Amino acid sequence: MKIFLKLFVLLGCAFAVAAHAKEIKLLNVSYDPTRELYQDYNAAFARYWKAKTGDNVVVAQSHGGSGKQAQSVINGLEADVVTLALAYDIDAIAQQAKLLPADWQKRLPNNSTPYTSTIVFLVRKGNPKGIKDWDDLVKLNVVVVTPNPKTSGGARWNYLAAWAYALDKYGHDDAKARDFIKRLYKNVPVLDSGARGSTTTFVEREIGDVLLAWENEAHLAIKQFGVDKFDIVTPPLSILAEPPVAVVDKVAKKRGTTEVAQAYLEYLYSDEGQDIAGRNFYRPRSEKAAAKYAIQFSPVKLVTVDEVFGGWQKAQKAHFADGGVFDQIFQP
Amino acid sequence: MAGGETKQPTKNMKPNPLLIASLVGILFVLPAFAADSTATNSTEAAEIEALKKEIRELAQKVQALEHQRDLDQQTKTEPTQEQIQDLDQKVRILARQRELDQESTTAAAKAQPRITVGANGFSFGSADSNFVVALHGVLQVDSRTFQQNNNVPGNDSILLRRARPILSGTVYRDFDFLFVPEFGGGTPGASSSATTPSIYDAYVNYRYSPAFQVQAGKFKAPVGLEQLQADVNLSFNERSLVTDLVPNRDLGFELHGDIAGGVLSYAAGIFNGVGDARNSSNIGFQDNREFDGRLFIQPFKQTGFKPLQNLGLGVGGSWGDSSITNTLGLPASTGGSTTSSGFFTDGQQQFFAYTNGVVASRTHWRLSPQGSYYYGPLSLIGEYVISDQDVRNDSYSADLRNTAWEISGGWVLTGEDATSTGVTPKHPFNPHNGQWGALQVVGRYAELDVDKDAFPFFSNPAVSASSAKAWAVGLNWYLNRNIRVNASYSRTTFTGGGGAGTSVPAAVTQHPEEVFFTRVQLAF
Repeated sequence: MKIFLKLFVLLGCAFAVAAHAKEIKLLNVSYDPTRELYQDYNAAFARYWKAKTGDNVVVAQSHGGSGKQAQSVINGLEADVVTLALAYDIDAIAQQAKLLPADWQKRLPNNSTPYTSTIVFLVRKGNPKGIKDWDDLVKLNVVVVTPNPKTSGGARWNYLAAWAYALDKYGHDDAKARDFIKRLYKNVPVLDSGARGSTTTFVEREIGDVLLAWENEAHLAIKQFGVDKFDIVTPPLSILAEPPVAVVDKVAKKRGTTEVAQAYLEYLYSDEGQDIAGRNFYRPRSEKAAAKYAIQFSPVKLVTVDEVFGGWQKAQKAHFADGGVFDQIFQP
Repeated sequence: MAGGETKQPTKNMKPNPLLIASLVGILFVLPAFAADSTATNSTEAAEIEALKKEIRELAQKVQALEHQRDLDQQTKTEPTQEQIQDLDQKVRILARQRELDQESTTAAAKAQPRITVGANGFSFGSADSNFVVALHGVLQVDSRTFQQNNNVPGNDSILLRRARPILSGTVYRDFDFLFVPEFGGGTPGASSSATTPSIYDAYVNYRYSPAFQVQAGKFKAPVGLEQLQADVNLSFNERSLVTDLVPNRDLGFELHGDIAGGVLSYAAGIFNGVGDARNSSNIGFQDNREFDGRLFIQPFKQTGFKPLQNLGLGVGGSWGDSSITNTLGLPASTGGSTTSSGFFTDGQQQFFAYTNGVVASRTHWRLSPQGSYYYGPLSLIGEYVISDQDVRNDSYSADLRNTAWEISGGWVLTGEDATSTGVTPKHPFNPHNGQWGALQVVGRYAELDVDKDAFPFFSNPAVSASSAKAWAVGLNWYLNRNIRVNASYSRTTFTGGGGAGTSVPAAVTQHPEEVFFTRVQLAF
């Protein structure tokens, strides 16, 4: 009996040694323009978690059009966390795959959106077409670059921002707003599947006069390609984009990563997380970080999806579902 | 270039100023000349008139050409900068659309079903790997040559040891399956039924996570380390004496998994129960069940300390209650030329047999501490087994505690790493390029002791050995991942038995067993 006791003690000790320093792998499935943000953030979080627990965390990133990314998770891509462009895409994961509860958005502050952004215009240096507002995008000689709202979360923000402007301009006349959007998309010759693809189209392939872009994406383009190449035009009215984050409960539980995944998202609200968001041209939620980075953002009147469209579910159904307004007005 | 091309025809039609001036001059000079020369005859006047006419015609042609030139210049204006930019944009848009189409085509190709053919077999599956079907196979052609075959028919033999097509796969991502029929299974002297095709493995496994899986069907019971090693990765042709005391394949349900990336592996299940070294048929032999389980820990597996990364220690065990007596609860009986239950040598000859009328009775439990170690070219495996079984005949009953142990090791001479899944040659066999694969030397020692209480009421001490000790050495030549050639020598000595007669096990235990094995193996 003593032999077996010793054996089990030996096994226990060995297991304790092995359990001492774990290497934890997380998969963050995100949308297109967050690559740089999460590269910075993952390194910071890994340092934080190592200091706190002694464990190593390696966070793999997956990026693409937000809608496509959500569909991948629904189809089985094992994401521990999702950080997508809009709440509707995470709702789809909750509803179709039941991988997280329907009230997921209540689990973190600010409706689980640790940072915000908006939609601006990136134009060629000197703004040769004189683009100042949404009206300028429907002129005959203006070529507009924006991704496909059927696959890209950013594109849906672009579309809804333009629609919100048209409603504002035409006294909430839906028919006129619809005509405005139709004319705008007549000026769009290429529909990329994601925001990063559209940036490539505009910046690298030199197509178009104006790129409808996430604010952070526009700043990154200037940072990367030089201030002598592009200007940012912030229209007087745009939309408040709130990209949310969530733990994919069932996947995290299955992979034994729930605790780390939760901490990973919570740390986005920390001083360091907020600072990284600001540094990557997202609008931080915290007052401290928002004040620090305020200088890099132009003033703009922001409307919300809830105010103008009654929420994402309604907006999705009316505009982007198969047979919706976008399908009706856009002829490739 | 475009500008050049448009100017060229204009240049050809451009009037020569010198020619025009000359013609005009002539028009003025000729009348004056005529007036001064009143004596000019009528012929000259006519010539002059003709010349004047010709000059007028030429002048008209010049005017016409000038007019044409003006028209051409009006219609053939050079493109504006705006038009060039517009064209440039159109070309860029077309190029980008083509680029996106190609991306789309590539993405669509990724969604196509995948077919793979390689050293790991053939497989085809959906693009997302949620559905996969794979075909593998094992073929082993053996020879056994005994120093003294002791009139055991067929023990000196060339045999098809294993011939198994293996179908495995996954459905709906989390459900795995395995189906392994056996068409070989040749055992010297065995009845023809021993080589009848049979099902070896047939199970469905639900993988909730690596740490939590549930398996149902027929598969290896989780007790013995050597028994759990894949047949194609054994160091020798046959497993050692220690495997005589653990269950082989059984029918049941098993909960199993790997925790912390394989640092701790566990398996626990409920099975029909089988005798030592037995394979279950496709139905149980009794109404009661057997519980089998195993824990195996590789404490350094996830650390960076390579010398201990592949050190594993574990313990397996079983407990079952055979309330309805049956010989199927006793050890295997398919070796040699006998159908009696008993234990077998490396050469698959029976050296111990229960006498007729002995049956399994009541409790049967096993315990097996075990360990393995792999580091570079070195491999070591050790295992100890206690098989405690109640037996009875018409007059007596007893609790017999049989024990066995083994230790085996190997060294890859060509420097490749030895692993639990075999050796992968750095330079697969290709004599044209001077590549010869990998060579491994292996050695093994094993003992099996039968409880002394087995004699004489349950086994005849005159014919059955009470213990066997075996050592073996061998050379394994890995030509590549799929082809392997083995040669080994094994010597087994016995205590007890050895009585006169030509029947098994007496004939086997009369002399030490010395046997030379060879094997040619295909596994993919």
